[in-house]
Amino acid sequence: MSEITIAARNAKGEVTVSRAPYFPRKKKTITGRSIAVLVFLALCALFFCIPLYVVVVTSFKTMDQIREGAMFSLPYVWTLEAWDHAWNSACSGINCNGLKVGFWSSVSILIPSLILSIGISMITGYALALWNVRWAGAFLFILFICAFVPFQIIMFPLISMTAALKVYGSIWGVALVHAVLAMPVLTLIFRNYYKDIPQEIMSAAVMDSGSFWRIFTEIILPMSGNILIVVLIMQITSIWNDYLIGVTFGGPGSQPMTVNLANLITISTGVTRYNDNMAAALLTAIPPLVIYFFVGKLFVQGITAGAIKG
Amino acid sequence: MALRWSRWSPQLALVPAIAVTLVAFVGGIIWTVYLSLTRSRRIPEYTIDWSDWFRQYDRLFRDDAWAISLQNLIILGIGSALAIVFGFVLAAMIDRERRGESFFRTVFLYPLAISLIVTGAAWRWIFNPEYGVEPFLHSLGLTWVNASWLSSGETAMWAIILASVWQSSGFYMALMLAGLKSINSEIWSAARLDGVSLWKLYTQIIIPMMKFTFVTCAILLSLGVIKAYDVVVAMTNGGPGQSTYVPAFFTIQAMTGRGNLGFASAAAVMMLVITAIVFLPLVLLTAWQQRRSARIAK
Amino acid sequence: MPRVSFEHITKTYGQVQVLDDLNLAIDDGDFLVLLGPSGCGKTTLLNLLAGLLDVTDGRIMIGDRDVTDVDPKDRGLAMVFQSYALYPTKTVHGNLKFGLAASKLPREEIEKRIAWAAKLLQIEPLLNRKPANLSGGQRQRVAIGRALVKNVGVFLFDEPLSNLDAKLRTEMRLEIKKLHDTLKHTIVYVTHDQIEAMTMATKIAVMNGGVIQQFGTPDDIYERPANLFVASFIGSPGMNLRPAKLAVGGGKVEAVFPSGVRFDVSDYNFVAPPKDGEDVIAGLRPEHFLVGAGDGAATFDIPVQYAERTGPDASAYFNFENELLALRVDPDIAARLKPGEHATVRYLRGKANLFDARSGQRM
Repeated sequence: MSEITIAARNAKGEVTVSRAPYFPRKKKTITGRSIAVLVFLALCALFFCIPLYVVVVTSFKTMDQIREGAMFSLPYVWTLEAWDHAWNSACSGINCNGLKVGFWSSVSILIPSLILSIGISMITGYALALWNVRWAGAFLFILFICAFVPFQIIMFPLISMTAALKVYGSIWGVALVHAVLAMPVLTLIFRNYYKDIPQEIMSAAVMDSGSFWRIFTEIILPMSGNILIVVLIMQITSIWNDYLIGVTFGGPGSQPMTVNLANLITISTGVTRYNDNMAAALLTAIPPLVIYFFVGKLFVQGITAGAIKG
Repeated sequence: MALRWSRWSPQLALVPAIAVTLVAFVGGIIWTVYLSLTRSRRIPEYTIDWSDWFRQYDRLFRDDAWAISLQNLIILGIGSALAIVFGFVLAAMIDRERRGESFFRTVFLYPLAISLIVTGAAWRWIFNPEYGVEPFLHSLGLTWVNASWLSSGETAMWAIILASVWQSSGFYMALMLAGLKSINSEIWSAARLDGVSLWKLYTQIIIPMMKFTFVTCAILLSLGVIKAYDVVVAMTNGGPGQSTYVPAFFTIQAMTGRGNLGFASAAAVMMLVITAIVFLPLVLLTAWQQRRSARIAK
Repeated sequence: MPRVSFEHITKTYGQVQVLDDLNLAIDDGDFLVLLGPSGCGKTTLLNLLAGLLDVTDGRIMIGDRDVTDVDPKDRGLAMVFQSYALYPTKTVHGNLKFGLAASKLPREEIEKRIAWAAKLLQIEPLLNRKPANLSGGQRQRVAIGRALVKNVGVFLFDEPLSNLDAKLRTEMRLEIKKLHDTLKHTIVYVTHDQIEAMTMATKIAVMNGGVIQQFGTPDDIYERPANLFVASFIGSPGMNLRPAKLAVGGGKVEAVFPSGVRFDVSDYNFVAPPKDGEDVIAGLRPEHFLVGAGDGAATFDIPVQYAERTGPDASAYFNFENELLALRVDPDIAARLKPGEHATVRYLRGKANLFDARSGQRM
């Protein structure tokens, strides 16, 4: 077969030579099976998006339009009225100050419980993974079991203990309980991460400085960037999304946003304002969703790390 | 002196964690077990009538709502298992059809980032009998459809299952996808060359290879079902009547609603027992895995 | 047993061109080794033949069948993978059988073939074990067995020995060679290991950068490398490559090195008539040097840098024009070479390789 060349002049006037194909092949078309799979996946994606879609459009509608019953239709007029109402004046129980109260409670619960739980777990994980600690195996096993214990079994004791510490019904109480309950899982995650640090590094560090705390702050802490971010994201979302601990340990004014939302949707006094409810639901969902869409990959790492602790 | 100090530092560093574990977890569990043997009502009592120590459990096992709770637990468990199947199907499809992988992953996983209270609120709204999906379908002429699942005790559990599956399928998909990706790509090539049908490949090779992933998913699912509380609160609050009670909800209800501490403690202990039953295979499995990896390392 | 040919094969991944207009044909019963450094396109070429990848342009023939668009399972070939790709959930017997599941053969025929392959490969006692309970060498045999039972004409091997230790590798090398000698299958074998290539192949295609650098018998490749890449890739210690100038005159052709050392290359089989003053690269195999005076293409005195013994033979490194010159020497002689002392060295006649300094092609 002889060589066939096609010479062409491109825009700059240079001659480019491209060869004609020897065995012209059909442009590769997508196979029937691929199309079927993609269609199925797209339908599933649609199913996953329906609730979000419905909630978003409802939150921008007026009550008059909602009463027409066309759930999936777009708002005639996009109004922020419901959002404003949900944020500023929706009622949770007898307080009608909107979800902003819960929002700020959630934020102020978040910060101390993050510091407390991550701080303790990191140090514990570091000591268990890299130092010769007596009974480390047994302690890890107990932590492993604690990570799966249902909350109800220690609910009343925790109420009594927080009451004795005079933090029951306050933001500090909720934060403390979050820290306690997250401790076993986080310790296991940190321990599993530190366990993979080469023993040589530790040996060298022990010979150079020897101090438990100095090695931690100067060597281990700078190596923990990745896991710290993963754990941070995981904890922020799980604390933000929690309802049970918030409703049990939070008093009036110190209940997180999810509790406000639950009160709003379950306790109906008079006419239910569905658009307010949906705006409130979205307001509650936005912080973790923002995290998810920006650092989704780390989020997935976090939940799978949390799932397969063993 | 400094050397001695450094030997003690790691042990000292463990003190807070050990204290929390012993006081909050171990102590808490003992405390609750003890309370379940007393006649405590709203206020804890610490005397045990040993002739009648089984009293609270006896009441519990004869309680209709507890029976409903256990029944619902099983229904919810079986129903939610759909999430594993669904998760696997999604993962298998995404894994083979690489197009759009990150898009589909993002869409299937976003429900996991949202609070179950929000999830419940959304689905509660969709199932709204006045303005929800039912009137919408009726307006399309599908008047035979009954989609007001939440207003009937027989169908309310289905709505909760649907919301749970919607919320958790993405999670199982992520675990399954990780499992599928760990399978040597040459296995796929070998099967292609051998002309093995997809069905045979999945049922005889791929799924058996992923049995550890499946067991992990099943255990996580069971633990999740036992803990299911938020979604019930947000969607039905136990109703209609007591038709959507589950153990987690029942226990809290007994404590805060009925104000019966001893009774609630007995229910909590039963929850712990159920967890242990589910948990045991995991412990055995982990031990087995470790033994196996130790053997391979040898 | 069919012949296999690649005609004008082009393969691109997106914008990256891996293979460009590649042509290669082997006869039935040939043992072709695709040899080259990683990323040279050899595995891509193998996967194209297997049908695991689609060609961008070109045609692949097996026998007189155009298989370019044929499904992998219908191409009439079997493949042994680098990681063996045994089905971990099946026993050895199940593995051999599963590969035939799609072939719709009668049960007796399947069993007959399994028995035959198991006997040939001496894996009969292992038939009921799972792959996890086999050693590396045993897994390798099972993988070959799975290919054998398919009773096809063409066998593909993708670096099958790279996961074995040195001793097993030698053993399996001989085994595969023996198998080829008895069964006379057409084999296409991918490796980056030149020893495997030299010992097993009937034909070697040396590849680099998606281009076949040289295609020929192992002797051709070793004795008459087509270009500088092949020259430097094959052989260990590698060929000494040194710049020189040709001097033509007086009925002689000589390669003159910068230090004045002259190699007589009159008997060299030049492709084109040599020109006086032409720049060349001389390729000198370490084993074609001899220590001591005598007849040769050149004889010269150079200082010893160091000598090292590697088991049965030894290498000596001399300082030649301020660079190391490697020589394969007798261990006894190596022991007598003292660093810093001068020794007389000569090069055998008719063994030098000459490459054009500009194009790098053999002259």
